[in-house]
Amino acid sequence: MLRSSTLLRIAAPVLVVTTLGAACSSSKSSTPATTPASSAAPTRTSAPVSGTLNGSGSTFQQAYDQVAIQNFDQAHSGVTINYQGKGSGGGQTDLSNQVVDFAGSDVAETAAQLPANKGGAILYFPTILGPITVSYNVSSVKGLKLSAPTIAKIFSRKITNWNDPAIAADGNAGLPSLPITVVHRSDASGTTANFTAYLKAADPTDWTLGSSKTVNWAADTEAGNGNTGVANDIKAKSGAIGYVDFSDAKATGLSWAMVKNAAGDFVNAGLAGASAAAADATVTANLTYNPINASGAQDYPITSPTYIITYAKYADAGKVALLQAFLKYILGPQGQGAAQGVDFAGLPPTLDQKALTQVDQITVG
Amino acid sequence: MATVTAPPPPAPAGASRPPGLGSRRPARADQAFRLLSLASGLLVLVVLALIAIASTGRALPAFRHEGLSFIFSRDWNPGADKFGALAFIYGTMVTSVIAIVLGVPVSIGIALVLTELAPRRIRTPIVYVLDLLAAVPSVVFGLWGLAVLAPKLDHRYGQVNDVVRHIPVLNTLFGGGEHNGTSIFTAGLILALMIIPIVTSLTREVFATVPIAQKEAALALGATRWEMIRGSVLPFGRSGVVGAVMLGLGRAMGETIAVALLIGSNAQITGHLFRSGDSMAAVIANQFNESTGLFQAALVGLGVLLFGITIVVNLAARAVLNRSERRLGGAL
Amino acid sequence: MTITGRLSGPGASISPARRLRNGLATTLMWLSLAIAVIPLGFLVYYVVSKGAKLFGWGFLTRPIPIFQRTFGGGMGPAVVGTLLITGMATLISVPLGVLGAVYIVEYGADNRLARVIRFLGDVMAGVPSIVMGLFIYTIWVIRGHGFTGFAGSLALACLMLPIVIRSSESMLRLVPTELREASFALGSSKSRTVLTVVLPTAAAGIVSGCLLAVARAAGETAPLLFTIGITSKVNSNLFKGTNTALSTQIFGNANQPYPGAIQRAWAAALTLLLIVLVFSILARLVSSRLTTGTRR
Repeated sequence: MLRSSTLLRIAAPVLVVTTLGAACSSSKSSTPATTPASSAAPTRTSAPVSGTLNGSGSTFQQAYDQVAIQNFDQAHSGVTINYQGKGSGGGQTDLSNQVVDFAGSDVAETAAQLPANKGGAILYFPTILGPITVSYNVSSVKGLKLSAPTIAKIFSRKITNWNDPAIAADGNAGLPSLPITVVHRSDASGTTANFTAYLKAADPTDWTLGSSKTVNWAADTEAGNGNTGVANDIKAKSGAIGYVDFSDAKATGLSWAMVKNAAGDFVNAGLAGASAAAADATVTANLTYNPINASGAQDYPITSPTYIITYAKYADAGKVALLQAFLKYILGPQGQGAAQGVDFAGLPPTLDQKALTQVDQITVG
Repeated sequence: MATVTAPPPPAPAGASRPPGLGSRRPARADQAFRLLSLASGLLVLVVLALIAIASTGRALPAFRHEGLSFIFSRDWNPGADKFGALAFIYGTMVTSVIAIVLGVPVSIGIALVLTELAPRRIRTPIVYVLDLLAAVPSVVFGLWGLAVLAPKLDHRYGQVNDVVRHIPVLNTLFGGGEHNGTSIFTAGLILALMIIPIVTSLTREVFATVPIAQKEAALALGATRWEMIRGSVLPFGRSGVVGAVMLGLGRAMGETIAVALLIGSNAQITGHLFRSGDSMAAVIANQFNESTGLFQAALVGLGVLLFGITIVVNLAARAVLNRSERRLGGAL
Repeated sequence: MTITGRLSGPGASISPARRLRNGLATTLMWLSLAIAVIPLGFLVYYVVSKGAKLFGWGFLTRPIPIFQRTFGGGMGPAVVGTLLITGMATLISVPLGVLGAVYIVEYGADNRLARVIRFLGDVMAGVPSIVMGLFIYTIWVIRGHGFTGFAGSLALACLMLPIVIRSSESMLRLVPTELREASFALGSSKSRTVLTVVLPTAAAGIVSGCLLAVARAAGETAPLLFTIGITSKVNSNLFKGTNTALSTQIFGNANQPYPGAIQRAWAAALTLLLIVLVFSILARLVSSRLTTGTRR
């Protein structure tokens, strides 16, 4: 048989690996990381739930989802919720393949997508909302003002330099001569869909590239992965401009433009403008709504909704209980209150109520 | 090989006969072991075949939808169900060529240092350093390239841009006004670093088998060391070097993560190497997790295309190396 | 072997031009070594200096912060994931690879099939790792098994198999035929010979080759991207639930604009580099036992 020394030589590395693995997995988390938004953790009076939930999708809502998961996590031991940001399209696909339990998405599924959902009917839960900023990196320009035609021309490469008279005509002075680098998303993105929906609605003559999760951008543009990828690319390149959710733009330290809305006012990207736009939007029967290109005086015209999409029925009762608890946390006062700490706006109260009522429609089946 | 059987000793009266060497049991176990090792070997064939079949099957909807324009069209627009992969094929080819052009001369130089120039005591540390270079994971190359190299290179690219503005061929390759730290050239540069270990080690093995007599003959005739290398070593190892280069090419084409982080993710075909581009492997890595339906099938199709191309290149490389191995007497 | 030519003394008549070319060529050759070594030095310097800020036992055991913008935290789940997923891949690929090499060398002397297997093994070694990941995604992940650590192990095993076969095969070939013949002469069957004589003799080399394959697999990202999903907590169950690994974490964090995430990426890169280095050095140590006489 094999000599003991040979056996030892082969077994030793395997033993070391397994021991390390076992040691690491049994150690409890010691020093927690510093977190800015942990003040809204729910108290431990909630009914005990346990288990694992997996979600994926929109990177627009990702920062909020992470904070919500972290707070929910601290209140419930034995709960693991994973959320992978990969763009709204990816989340919808994962949900349709039942690889995840819920999807994060900034847009509703198209009629063509519905038959592919292996788990049956789906439910939309609006959770939070926020502005999509038009962020830029030009060190000498502060307080940029842009109108829809100018934005459309910049992003379709009809305007290629920062000192173009069209940009100055929007009320900007001191523009340098600097080539514009357009940054967009490389993944199938709900943020892209909503941003292009705004351009299409506000200026259909100048914006001809359509509105969808992926768009046929011009060849000489840059692509970033996720909202943070785009933010990163803008930050790295002087002269860059792109569309990024407000939360990530603020955390990255970007500057963004004031956008002219349909009422003719230049509104700064911010939670006030976003909430105003959402309040003006009509809510459909399945709780989706469209605040894009809202025309009220204070409305920020590129406000994006975002949803958590679930199935109406799940086979596992424990999963249903956990999902309901998680959604009730997000839609409850603590979850909605946590949104502001991460630079998102909470839902208008009536919509929030409707969503809370809908949570009970998730059943075992 | 035949087993030698000794005749069993005459059994003492009353004692039971010990199982002889000709008994059935070892033969069955022997046969089982043979089958087990055969099955393990066949696994390679099975897995390769499965990869080809399963991936092609998954990609079929996209192939049917696009037909040949999958390869020849540069119109990649998943939103409109258009999947022309020419820009990615271009990116893969150009970054690999840059890797070869930059990496192979360096590899040959290092191989020559190891076989001809370096004193014995320095050789082992050099080999250890090359092992370290080979061991660095691709994602670490990508992180370092992205965080450290790309910003520095962006500045240099701008400077080169200005210098070559009026020089005819160079201003296409290295000019163009617009430049980016994450670009085709940056990706090619990192790829060159990554293929150096494998090309060097194969080239070194080839050079090490040059007969000493030939080298001594050249030196005895009064050649300088460089003339000896150029006349005896290099021509002798030429086909082996070609095989090593092709293997390096195959490796560069399949490299995914470092390229995904450094190429700039821009599906354009441009002669300006300092601009962003995209490659087959990089676009799969960056966009697969978000893809659905026909788009996902198209990305798997890109994987099948990459699989096919790298297999062809590797087959050719192995054929060249085998031929040169036979000539050099089984060194490789 | 270095051979010095006569550049001076009786009989030498080297023109200045030839001397110059020789000097130039020599300089270029040493320069090429520098061109390879200097970037490596920079890389190691940056990984160590930037990674050391966060690196430590705490970093290796703390959970990954759920909120990406936080500073500090750790990569405990990723370390466990890398070790377990690579360990399982090793368990799958090493026995199969060694047995496959046994077939090629021991039973395949005049066997066409063995030659085909060997050839295809070399071809398989050149398949891009992302194709392996796509393959396992297609036949395993979306066929109902979902994102698990085991799916990642399968993808890594596909990657390791040809490497293990190739290195085991060359080690087995080095075992002298006389040893086998002596064993047969004593009445051993083929399988007994392989198990008790050939494999132990080649053990050091085989283990060394396997360690190198493990080092390579531990650093791989692409096969794991579409197979293991992501998680921020330790998951030691490879068959249930998503998992994470150091390589995928670095890839995910590399493109983040948040300094906290970038810090964790550097420290994770340092961790990964150390793991890979440890296995590579182990491989060298084990294989150097070969030269100090294991011939019995």
